[in-house]
Amino acid sequence: MFEKEFLEEEERLKREWKELYDRFYKDKEFKAVTDSDIPVKSVYTAKDLEEIGFRPEMPGIYPYTRGIYPVQYQFTPWFNNLVLGYGLPEQTRERMDLLKEMGARGYFGKDAYNLVFDLVAKAGYDPDDPEVTGRVGVAGCHFATQDDFDRLFHDIDLTKVSVVQNICRATLVEIAMYIAYLEKRGIPITKVYGNSMNWLWSFAFLGNVAFPPKSAFKLMAEFIKYCCRNMPQWNHTNITSYYVEESGGNAVQEAGYAISAGIALTEECIRAGLDPDEFLPRFGFQIAQAGDFFEEVAKVRAMRRVWAKVNKERFGCKNPRSLHLRMHSQTSGVTLTAQQPLNNVIRTTLQTLGAVLSGTNSIQTNSYLEALSTPTEESHILALRTQQIILHETNIPNVSDPLAGSYYVEWLTGKVEEEVFGIIKLIDEKGGFRKCWESGWFKDEITKSAYQWREKVASGQKTIVGLNKYVTEKEQKVPVFKYPEIEEEAIRRLKEYKEKRDNKKLEGALKRLKEVAVMVDETWPEHSGELMPAVIDAARAEATLGELQGVLKEVFGWA
Amino acid sequence: MREEKIRVLLTIARFDGHDRGVRYLARKLMELGMEVIFTRFVHPGDVVSTAIQEDVDVVGVSFSVGGHKYITSEIIKGLRENKRADILVILGGIIPDDEVGELINMGVGKTFGPGSPATDIAQYIKDNMTKKQ
Repeated sequence: MFEKEFLEEEERLKREWKELYDRFYKDKEFKAVTDSDIPVKSVYTAKDLEEIGFRPEMPGIYPYTRGIYPVQYQFTPWFNNLVLGYGLPEQTRERMDLLKEMGARGYFGKDAYNLVFDLVAKAGYDPDDPEVTGRVGVAGCHFATQDDFDRLFHDIDLTKVSVVQNICRATLVEIAMYIAYLEKRGIPITKVYGNSMNWLWSFAFLGNVAFPPKSAFKLMAEFIKYCCRNMPQWNHTNITSYYVEESGGNAVQEAGYAISAGIALTEECIRAGLDPDEFLPRFGFQIAQAGDFFEEVAKVRAMRRVWAKVNKERFGCKNPRSLHLRMHSQTSGVTLTAQQPLNNVIRTTLQTLGAVLSGTNSIQTNSYLEALSTPTEESHILALRTQQIILHETNIPNVSDPLAGSYYVEWLTGKVEEEVFGIIKLIDEKGGFRKCWESGWFKDEITKSAYQWREKVASGQKTIVGLNKYVTEKEQKVPVFKYPEIEEEAIRRLKEYKEKRDNKKLEGALKRLKEVAVMVDETWPEHSGELMPAVIDAARAEATLGELQGVLKEVFGWA
Repeated sequence: MREEKIRVLLTIARFDGHDRGVRYLARKLMELGMEVIFTRFVHPGDVVSTAIQEDVDVVGVSFSVGGHKYITSEIIKGLRENKRADILVILGGIIPDDEVGELINMGVGKTFGPGSPATDIAQYIKDNMTKKQ
C-alpha cells in the first residue's frame, strides 16, 4: 500500500519518537482500551495500516466503507430524524408541525416525520386493556384505530412525505391499518413511502413480552413479502441494534448482533420464496452513536463493509443496493445523566458530530432531558439545532468521509470489522441468531457487559462527569415534560369507534384472519404471503389495533 | 439485627424494556448479602401477591416509561389490604422530582433516580429494615 521509501522514513521517525518518549515517560506504561475493550496504542502509523491490509476505497464503491453513495452530504444532508410522539394523535401532530416549522427535514429537503407510538400500541394493546392502565399516551403517541391516522395526517399528502412508523411488535397490524386508511383516502399504496420499524427480533435483547423467536421471523418474512410485492417504495425493514448498546452491550457486540439478525432475516425471507435482491434494498439499520468517539465512527464504517461483504459473498447478491447498509444513527440515551442534565447537551453534540463523521444517512439527536423525561418543545428544538449547526456552520459536510486515511480510524475500522466477523462466526457456530435468542445467550452476554461497565463506573475506573466525578451538591433544575392525561379520552374514543362500525362484518373478517394465521403458521412456508392480505381485510372491516394483534398473539404465541 | 438475609423483590413491568439498571441492582444486592427475587409484572396485583408469597422485606419497582403513580398506589393499597404494610416499598428509574413528594405521601420509602449507586440503595434498605426490627 505505501511506498517502501515512505515506510523506511516512518521507521526512522518512529525510532526517534521512541527515544523522546522514553526520555520523558520511560517508567510509565500507557494502557488503554476502547469501550469494546479493544486495546489501543498511544499513536498509530502507516505500518498499522499495512498490517491490517488497508486498501484504497472510494465512496459509493464496494465494499462501501466510505459511504454507500458517491456523494455524502454535499447535495442532500442527512435526514433530521427526530423521534416524536406523546398523548393523543392531535397532540403529537402539534409536535410534528413544530419541528417542521423549525426546519426538520427528510432526504432531499422533503417533509418527514419519525413517529413513535406509545408502549401500549407498540405491544399491540387497546387502551382499555387492564394491563396498560397508566401508560396510555406515555413515551409515544396513543394509537388504536384508523381514525387516529386521520387525526395525524388528515390534511397531509401522504405521497409527498416520508413517515417513519415506530410501532415495533405491532408493525404488521398497524401497517395493515395504514393501508386500509390510505385506501379510504384514495391514495395508492404504491405511491407512499416511509419506514416501518419491524423490530420483532429485537426482543432477543430485551425483557419485554413479545412474539417468540420462531414466530417473530415468520411474521417479519410475511410482512416483508407483502411490502416487496405491493409497496415498492416502502422501507419495510429496520434492523435496530440500538438496544444492544443501550442495554449494556458494547459497540462490536451491537454491530455483530445486528448483522447476524440481518442474516437470519434474509434466510427466513429466502425460505418464504423471496430473492435477496428483491428485499435487501429496502433493509435499513439503526444504531447507537455512543460515548467512545472514534470507535463509534469506526463501527459504522465497518458495518457498511461487513454488510456488503456478507450479502455479496454469502447470499450472492447482484443488485448493488442489496449491498448498501443504510444507517440511521441515534445518539445514546444511556450515556446521558440525570445529574447536571445540561452536560447532556455536550454529550449529544459530540455524538451527533460522530454520527456525521461516520457518514450515516439519518440522525436522531436525543434531547438533553433523556434521563429525565420525553423532550419538551425547547429541548426538542435544541436537539434539532445541534444538527443544523453542524450542517451549516462547520463546513464538515463539504467533504465525504473526512476521517478516511486516518491511521487510527482506518486501523480501528479494520479491527472492528475483524471482531464483527468473529461474532458472526460464533453465532453461526451456535446454530444461528434464532438459536442464540432461544437460549438467552444474547441477554447473558449483554448483562455481563452491562455489569462490567457499571462496576467500572462504581469504582471510578470509568469517569462520568457529574455522576462519579465533579459531583455537585446543588442540583441543576431543568423543566421536564409532563404527559397530558388522556387515558379516559382514549377509552371513550375506542368505545365510540366500536359502536359505529359493522360488528358482524368485523367478526367474519377476524374469524377468517385466524384461519389464515393458523394455516400460515402450521404449514410454514407453504402458504407464505397469505397472512398480510388477511390482516388488511380485517383492518378494512375496522378492527382495532388490539383486536388484530390479539389474533396474531393467539396463533403465534406471546410471552 | 436478625440472622436471616434481607429478602428483596425487584420488579419491572413487562411493558418496560429499560431493565438494565434493575438487573444490575439485583446482582449487586445479592453480592451485598441480600436475597433477591427478580420478576416482570403484568398487573400491580402481581407485585403484591409475589411479595406476600415470597415473604419479602422490601419491594423495589423500576419505572422508566410512566405509570408509576397508578401502579405504586395499587401496590401499596394491595399490601395494606393484605396487612403487609410493613413491607418497605422503594422505587427506581425515571420519576419526575415534583412527583416524589406525592409518592412518599402514598407510603413509598424512597425513590432512586438514574445512576444511583447500588451501595446507597443497599444502605438505605439496611437502615430502614433495622428500624422495623
